Amino acid sequence: MTDAGGAAMTINSRSNSRTAWFFILPAVIIMLAACLYPVISAARLGFYDWSMGTPWSQAKWTGWTSFEIVFTDPAVWRSLWTTLKFAAVSVSAEMFLGIALALALEGNIRGMAFFRTLFILPMMVAPIAVGLTWRYLFDAQFGLINALLAVFDVAAKGWLADETLAFAAIIIADIWQWTPFVFIMVIAGLSSVDSTVLEAARIDGARWWTVTRRVKLPMIAHVLAITLVMRLIDAFRVLEVIYVLTFGGPGDSTEVLSMYIYKTAFIGQRLGSASAISVLLLAVVMFLTWLALRMSNPLDDENGQ
Amino acid sequence: MKRRDLLKAGGLAGILAAGQFPLIKGVFAQDRYAKYRGQTVVMSVPSHPHYDAMTKILPDFTAETGIKVELDKMSLARIKDKQLLEMAKPQGDYDLACYVVMWKTEYVKKNLVEPLEPFFQNQALADPNYDMDDIVKGYLEVQGLVGGPKTYLPGPGAKLYGLPYGSETSILAYRKDIFEKHGFKAPQTYDDLQKLLAPLKAKSGIGALSSRGQSGHQCVHAWLLHLNPLGGEVFDANWNPVFNSQAGIDALKLLKEISDTGPAGIPSYGQGETINAFLQGQAAMYLDSILIMGLVNDPEKSKIVGQVGYALHPKGVRYASQSGGLGLTMPKNSKNKDAAFLLLQWLTSKAADFKVTMAGGNAIRMSTLNNPDILKKYPDFAILKEQLKYVEPDWRPIIAEWDEINIQALGIGISEALTGKKSPEEALNGIVPKVTDIMKRGGYLKA
Repeated sequence: MTDAGGAAMTINSRSNSRTAWFFILPAVIIMLAACLYPVISAARLGFYDWSMGTPWSQAKWTGWTSFEIVFTDPAVWRSLWTTLKFAAVSVSAEMFLGIALALALEGNIRGMAFFRTLFILPMMVAPIAVGLTWRYLFDAQFGLINALLAVFDVAAKGWLADETLAFAAIIIADIWQWTPFVFIMVIAGLSSVDSTVLEAARIDGARWWTVTRRVKLPMIAHVLAITLVMRLIDAFRVLEVIYVLTFGGPGDSTEVLSMYIYKTAFIGQRLGSASAISVLLLAVVMFLTWLALRMSNPLDDENGQ
Repeated sequence: MKRRDLLKAGGLAGILAAGQFPLIKGVFAQDRYAKYRGQTVVMSVPSHPHYDAMTKILPDFTAETGIKVELDKMSLARIKDKQLLEMAKPQGDYDLACYVVMWKTEYVKKNLVEPLEPFFQNQALADPNYDMDDIVKGYLEVQGLVGGPKTYLPGPGAKLYGLPYGSETSILAYRKDIFEKHGFKAPQTYDDLQKLLAPLKAKSGIGALSSRGQSGHQCVHAWLLHLNPLGGEVFDANWNPVFNSQAGIDALKLLKEISDTGPAGIPSYGQGETINAFLQGQAAMYLDSILIMGLVNDPEKSKIVGQVGYALHPKGVRYASQSGGLGLTMPKNSKNKDAAFLLLQWLTSKAADFKVTMAGGNAIRMSTLNNPDILKKYPDFAILKEQLKYVEPDWRPIIAEWDEINIQALGIGISEALTGKKSPEEALNGIVPKVTDIMKRGGYLKA
């Protein structure tokens, strides 16, 4: 809260505070209903053994068993490790490429509006369609990727038939789809940087790289942190593209945690265990979010800390 | 036990009797439908060539009976979740639901679907000329019966919960032109098949046999295609896993060889890629669902029009072709059960089966396959008729736990053998503990 805001609070009576609550109440109720209720309900499901299509009255109370299984099931830890590798590689690449693209295309370069629109197209495509598109692109027989490699005399590869290449394939598809998100966030951040500060730096003799590294990027650190957090959260929840592209295979080489949760819930019909693993996933994502926000809290400045 | 005994034991005696004794035959067709004129039957159906063909003949049903039909069409991948949600409500939207054979025991175990026998015994509804015996035996048993001693096969306690509609078996398709050019013969046994793979690839310059191989259901399906003729089983009579027997290992070794001599990328192939590789001329053989028969001569989808011959699924220690595909069942919470039954009965009748087959669907009746008009339009059905004798109802254990065993245990191990990460022995032996755990959890084995 700013000083002006603080002063206003002291002047205003308690009734004003009530009015404020009255206005934000609908939003609070919607948030609670939409966010908190499903989380609590999922956590509750973790204590029961219930199968879809049967009445809830038939659900059996299993106590902490499902949560204990989370820690003893090697498949949970293997898929969590796969998720961590996937998130680390894909989000790093997206951040790097997104920032680089934004720096290259910022400012009033002619025709850039067109390219900016073009670049954000992938993130508008439905994930299932992205998965299918890349499945065809990576096809060993008819895929465009192998056709392009053939131009450089590289032998055709069974991209989705090899554990390492399949892992690379899901990362490539993710980078293609989500680099534009980083790009759009960074370019919005860059456009808000005060031009007088940049001008002052240039007058002081700073070159492009120094201005970028010492002025621009630190000034949009909040934007970068938020972007990183959002991408990490998404990367931990990734499901649809992998579902279509590899279904977790070959073997279980691309089985990320959400894919394992999906299989446990809807194939193994163990909704309790799936809920317990979901709680683990939620905890991991919350920890990462907290960590990233701690690194650069956009609310710090406003609080004057 | 003869088939008649099995069916009687399974509670189908009444249905069969209805066809035999004129006194308890159903009423005339017009009377049968009159009461339900104006009602709407809602069907949950997948996007699938057979159901596309069904859509073409539905107007005939409405014209004949005055009963309207509404379709809720979605992809097979999503349809089960939606059906489970609908069928769990006190009153659901669906009157008929199309199900994959593997879901039948789960639906019955959860008390979601109606047994059909009371409807077939209801004189006001049953068609006296229905002739259940005419439906392909393997299809009827595997698609419809639940509750026998093995839970998914005929025997005492088995009841009819669904009818085959979109059922299929496996057949061998091969490129006549390539085989003739290089002097090869279509393989009749698994020995022939195995010996053919390497030379066929070497001489033709394309993959020998197209096959599924993607992690999960797809690679297990491919392995089961060979496990059954080679004499293997997933479980013994006491539900102990025996899929790692010599036959299981041989089937997986063969599948690996098929993958290595096939079109590139088999370990990533789903059904679509498998069919496509053959249709686009990248493989000289195809051994899988009869779905291929409706596609090879479609110039929009196929580059091999007129070049394909068919042979029986090769014999190992026995003939045993795939049993599976789709069927229709009636949710317990349907609002219009009688009208739904009338539609189900009409669709699977002799006349409608002929029509749907002419429209490109899968026949379920021998009378359809014997029909001269059908054989004139589809001359290759002569071999299909022969193949249907060898449909193996116990092709895979259709217990409620099968999805998990299929996708999360076998589907991972077999995939790892195909990529070479593990040897076939290592892969199959490695899955036994996981499958044993699942069977213990399901109460089949002692914990």
